[in-house]
Amino acid sequence: MVQATPVRRKGGLLRWGALTPLVLALLFMIPVLLLQIYLTLHQWTAYLGPWWSAKFVGLEVFWEALTEERFLLALARSFIFAGLSTLLTLLLGFGLAYLLQKPFRGRGFYYMIFIIPMLTVPVVIGFTFQMLLYQDGPINQILSLFVPGDIRLSWLGDPTAAFASMVLIETWNWTPFVMIILLAGLVSMPKEPVEAAQVLGASRWQIFTQVTLPLLKPVILLAIILRFLEALAEFPKFWTITQGGPGTATETIPVYLYLTAWEYANVSHAAAMSYIVLLLVGTIIYFAIRTLLRQKQSLDVMFAKTEG
Amino acid sequence: MRRDTRRKVFLSVRHALLSLWLLISILPIYWMVTTAFKLPEQWYTWPPTWFPSPPTLENFYVTWMGYQMIPRPGVVLPTINLDPLLALGNSVVIAGSATLLSVAIGLLLAYGVSRYQIIPEKRMFNLLILRMMPPIVIAIPLVIWYSTLRFLDTWHGMIIIYTITTIPYAAWMTKSFIDEVPEEMEQAAQLLGASKLRAFFTIVVPLIRSGIVATCMFILILTWSEYLLALVMTAADAQTMPVQLSKFEGASEGRLYGLQSAMSIGVTIPLIVIGILIHKHLVRGFSFGMIRRQ
Repeated sequence: MVQATPVRRKGGLLRWGALTPLVLALLFMIPVLLLQIYLTLHQWTAYLGPWWSAKFVGLEVFWEALTEERFLLALARSFIFAGLSTLLTLLLGFGLAYLLQKPFRGRGFYYMIFIIPMLTVPVVIGFTFQMLLYQDGPINQILSLFVPGDIRLSWLGDPTAAFASMVLIETWNWTPFVMIILLAGLVSMPKEPVEAAQVLGASRWQIFTQVTLPLLKPVILLAIILRFLEALAEFPKFWTITQGGPGTATETIPVYLYLTAWEYANVSHAAAMSYIVLLLVGTIIYFAIRTLLRQKQSLDVMFAKTEG
Repeated sequence: MRRDTRRKVFLSVRHALLSLWLLISILPIYWMVTTAFKLPEQWYTWPPTWFPSPPTLENFYVTWMGYQMIPRPGVVLPTINLDPLLALGNSVVIAGSATLLSVAIGLLLAYGVSRYQIIPEKRMFNLLILRMMPPIVIAIPLVIWYSTLRFLDTWHGMIIIYTITTIPYAAWMTKSFIDEVPEEMEQAAQLLGASKLRAFFTIVVPLIRSGIVATCMFILILTWSEYLLALVMTAADAQTMPVQLSKFEGASEGRLYGLQSAMSIGVTIPLIVIGILIHKHLVRGFSFGMIRRQ
């Protein structure tokens, strides 16, 4: 892009028009943050009276949350879920983007079908996979074709299988996201470095690891960061498919927070846990945004050049 | 010669792999759509029924209109307030208004940042925090705040929160379009005496019209499918489609496959169509405008 003219004209009416809604939104959200802190410091159970008459207990609820095993396990599960699904979507998404990078007949058709999973409403994905994973359902039937014997796995009944199913469903859902991002990166990549490497006699593998990957780094980082954070926050699919079960096998942070606040009505405990998660994810976001800011310039250069 | 065969092998392998993924992508949607046309006796068969025979519209009548064409003792509606048409109306109003508001606010903000740096671009980046934070983390205080304001289960309450949470997407996506318009054109207009706002509305907006439409569609996809906030903040009056669908499933313990599929179609197919229409711009939306081409 052209360096924006350094005129720092105030913008007048435009400035007001653009910033007022933002300031209003901020003012609207401030009580939310204050309430968050208030709830963390007080013991409040929803049906025992209004929130303003809750008992002040200091950091007690906070410590209780921090040392609760179920919470820590849910936290670990969330990170494992996010890590595994990010890794899988990255590998599959990269593979698909690689296969689609050169124009050929039917490419547009593949692309349009491939993006369908990420356009599907999460709640609908939940039900549909329940039907597919049903003991007498089509997934078991398809597996029976390849594995000898009649496969009648109860996917959502077994702790490990249920967790694995959730990771795979998340992967199915969001592989297109990684695919479209990496494909955009591959298509817009400058051609000269690869050609130069070919002239110098580099092997395909060398070109891939030493030219293509470094050039794609900002795009890959973008995909990883966005995917990981969104997987951490994933709630609708868990809630519609397993509700954290069987037992607590698929109980991630969003599910456990929801259960604590809305099923067990233990609002203070949930608020304290939210606060801990807020600080933790906030730290990750801080570094994520710094990384993205640093990579944004190379992204801008890469995508400005191919602008039609 | 050898290169030729190698190329052919590569091409057919590529098609094979892509077709395989095509089947995986489409299978769940196929299953949902066909199940919606199956009669109850075909819902749980082994081997599963791949083609509804004969296809029936029964499920659509039961879920959307609330009556059965052929009375069947086997099919009992779950005992909840099932009113998909109300939920559909709610979803249209809430998602639609929030989308328009969010894009309007985002557009002005994006223009101000792009041309006049009303806030530094770096600062605008912080908007992304809003989107990266898991909504469950602020859900509890938010619900208490809303109940204090008496905003729970109202259209305006939902519209406000959806607008706030989608502004980052709207601002960054529209900014990526605005950045592509050469600044000289507005400067020329301003030399001729047009005000900043006028230059914006008469020159920039028409140029990025298709971009604005794509942004609207993208935000619509996000707000329409949102589940968690709608679940905790609506009860009866302002319930949106995804919540209604999940309540329906909860009440029937997820066993009325045909009925819930018939309902799912209404919830998700419009979005898939919209998404495919704007497929060229999707990557821009999901990457906050940081990536511009597919």
